[in-house]
Amino acid sequence: MKLAQGLFAVIRREVTRWGSRRLYLWAMVLVPVLSSLFFVDLMNEGLPTQVPSAIVDLDNTPMSRNLTRSLNTTELVDLRYSPTDYHEAIQMVREGKIYGFFLIPENFEADAIAGRTPTLAYYSNMTYFVPGTLAFKGFKTMAVLTSGKVVETSLTSVGINSATAGTILQPLVVDIHPLGNPWTNYSIYLSNSFLPGLLELMIFLVTCWTICEEFKRGTSRQWLATARGSLTTALMGKLLPQTLLFTIIGLAMDSLLFGWLHFPCHHLGNMVLAMPLFVIACQAFAVVIAAVISNLRLSLSLCSLTGILAFSIAGFSFPVEDMYGSIGIFSYILPVRWYFLIYADQALNAVPLYYSREFYIALLVFPLVAVATAGLMKKRCYNPVYVP
Amino acid sequence: MKRLWNNTRQWFVELAHVTRREFSLSLTDAGILLFFIALPLFYPIVYTLIYNPEVARNIPVAVVDDCRSAQSRELVRMTGATDAIKIVGYASNMAEARRWKDRKDVYAIMHIPADFSEKVGRGEQANVSFYSDMALLLRYRSMLLNLTSVQLAAGANLRTETLSSLGASGMSMGNAPVNNVSFMLGDTEQGFASFIIPGIVILILQQSMLLGITMLGGTSFERARRNRGIDPLAIQAAPTSTVMGKMLCYVIIYLPLTLYVLHYIPTFFALPHLGSPLHYIPFVFPMLIASAFLGLTLQVLVKEREMSLMVVVFTSVILLFLSGLTWPRYAMGPLWTGIGDMIPAVWGMEGFIRINSNDATLADNSTAYTMLWVLAFFYFLTATWAVRHRRHQLSPLRH
Repeated sequence: MKLAQGLFAVIRREVTRWGSRRLYLWAMVLVPVLSSLFFVDLMNEGLPTQVPSAIVDLDNTPMSRNLTRSLNTTELVDLRYSPTDYHEAIQMVREGKIYGFFLIPENFEADAIAGRTPTLAYYSNMTYFVPGTLAFKGFKTMAVLTSGKVVETSLTSVGINSATAGTILQPLVVDIHPLGNPWTNYSIYLSNSFLPGLLELMIFLVTCWTICEEFKRGTSRQWLATARGSLTTALMGKLLPQTLLFTIIGLAMDSLLFGWLHFPCHHLGNMVLAMPLFVIACQAFAVVIAAVISNLRLSLSLCSLTGILAFSIAGFSFPVEDMYGSIGIFSYILPVRWYFLIYADQALNAVPLYYSREFYIALLVFPLVAVATAGLMKKRCYNPVYVP
Repeated sequence: MKRLWNNTRQWFVELAHVTRREFSLSLTDAGILLFFIALPLFYPIVYTLIYNPEVARNIPVAVVDDCRSAQSRELVRMTGATDAIKIVGYASNMAEARRWKDRKDVYAIMHIPADFSEKVGRGEQANVSFYSDMALLLRYRSMLLNLTSVQLAAGANLRTETLSSLGASGMSMGNAPVNNVSFMLGDTEQGFASFIIPGIVILILQQSMLLGITMLGGTSFERARRNRGIDPLAIQAAPTSTVMGKMLCYVIIYLPLTLYVLHYIPTFFALPHLGSPLHYIPFVFPMLIASAFLGLTLQVLVKEREMSLMVVVFTSVILLFLSGLTWPRYAMGPLWTGIGDMIPAVWGMEGFIRINSNDATLADNSTAYTMLWVLAFFYFLTATWAVRHRRHQLSPLRH
């Protein structure tokens, strides 16, 4: 009973503090919500097609013009310019007007018909991965198709029927099936990794802020007294309202992605289950940092460092398996890594829960570590020291 | 005339005082040194180390070979010989392969149908299915590019066989009648570090500067609040000389770091680095100025030392997207393009990437360069407003 009284007293104290400063509203609600809307609206196209590009036609024959027309009808590239030569085209790349260009050599038509094997060249600017790759894909398809058309013409001219000719062009086809994301939609991929990453970052910062602020302002003794002297009660009372709020925001993100946008989610129940575990794991991570460091500035800096590096180390974009081992291991201390693995299994790939069990367990380990280290905090609560 | 001369001289004297004071405030504060010096020094190294393996290699793939013929084994050998793909084993059927994938032992499954070799023998088109995990696009992309080359190479072999069986070998059809050749510009090896680091380093310059400046602002506000609205360590000077003097201090601190981050980091890690410092240092110079003024403007939001982290840190993620590095700018709506246009680092990244990786010149980036100066001027105005506003905020505390 005494414990429950203390807990409610701390919860009341904490929620009152939220109202006292705009910072809480900003960091707990506005940043995660507005950023979610930002990501979703920014990438609502799914795939940034119509890459600005150019065609250099040195041949200027019916065949080359035909090729230009076909290239312009593909959705991947948008031939905005037709520079007169290679140098003008590469200049446009340097000025950022185009992300790639297609070059039809002189005497293309004559060489192709005479069997002198002309070469089509295409240049893709890989300094920007997404448009560079899409331009490459569009150019490559068109180059292969063109070469196919020429073969077909010459094969049918020697008396091979066009069905056989089709086979001869492409005797082997590898059908690639992108599982779970057949549209190769970039938003499905990026939103599902960056939004939890951002939520993690904000949970780190807010948790650290609310705990270490007590030390900075010297209110930690009062905090502990409200909790009837129990650090566990004090921490629970402080963090539970945040757990609730962040879980609601996390679930709102989920409903934005899986409900509103219909991004693939096969086992919704398991994703909903993962969200509170993820939120608690993030809070626990920050509690450990706050307990060990206790200096507001340093612990916030460390939370920012890990929260921002998480976007890279957790392996959303570059696989952890391919990182140097000594760096890749850091991915395992980040809650968002485990959440991301759960997402890939449960939402994207519809894997039975059994195969994701370790990831859920990993999320549960974080609060255990926090409980083990939180004891360090108590001494500091009685003796708060602020170092700027 | 004499008064004008005196006023001008007075302005420069104030400026010098402000700069000197800002130096001593910045260089004696551990928190500021962490942002101004340690962050630009070590963050680029950490980032490059994370991405330095550049490409995904040996991604484990399972094979379900229902054909079990010489041709299918040849195809599997060719696939396994590529950089990206490593064949880890033959599963007896799709269900087993699926189980391997569920266990994360493999990230893709290659299925060769039972009639594969028959079709090849009959000169028909043979199909092979490849099921790829999509959790990471980089993996998919690497496998896709490698499979395309396998398809072309295996196809060319088969074509020669088919054609000679049809008696058309004299046509030299072994290769296509039209060749095609692809060139990758900028990041020729398509490495991940080579792609992302030139942009990230620019972002680090701006963000670390913003963090430091807002922290200085918050610290000064706390001091002022404790001292009845007057920061005892601040120089009393006109708003214009105050912001100019502070900017001068930050830019002087950042110039050597800029050279280190933009020249030495790509050199250390052998990343693409074509452009000349004579182009990119002058290019980045207005970005430093604009970032400094932007930071001085953002100071109005920060009333406490540690608040700088709460306000600035998350924007790095947003800016990564606004810059077009992960999502190209031509595919953004006008609102986001417009907001991106207001950020010094967005222009800075655009220009520096082109100078660094595509060997562009300063003149090629005249739009970005002009925009940086425009932003520098614009944020100069907002920064002077911010100084006035802050003094106004603090005035009720004065008695």
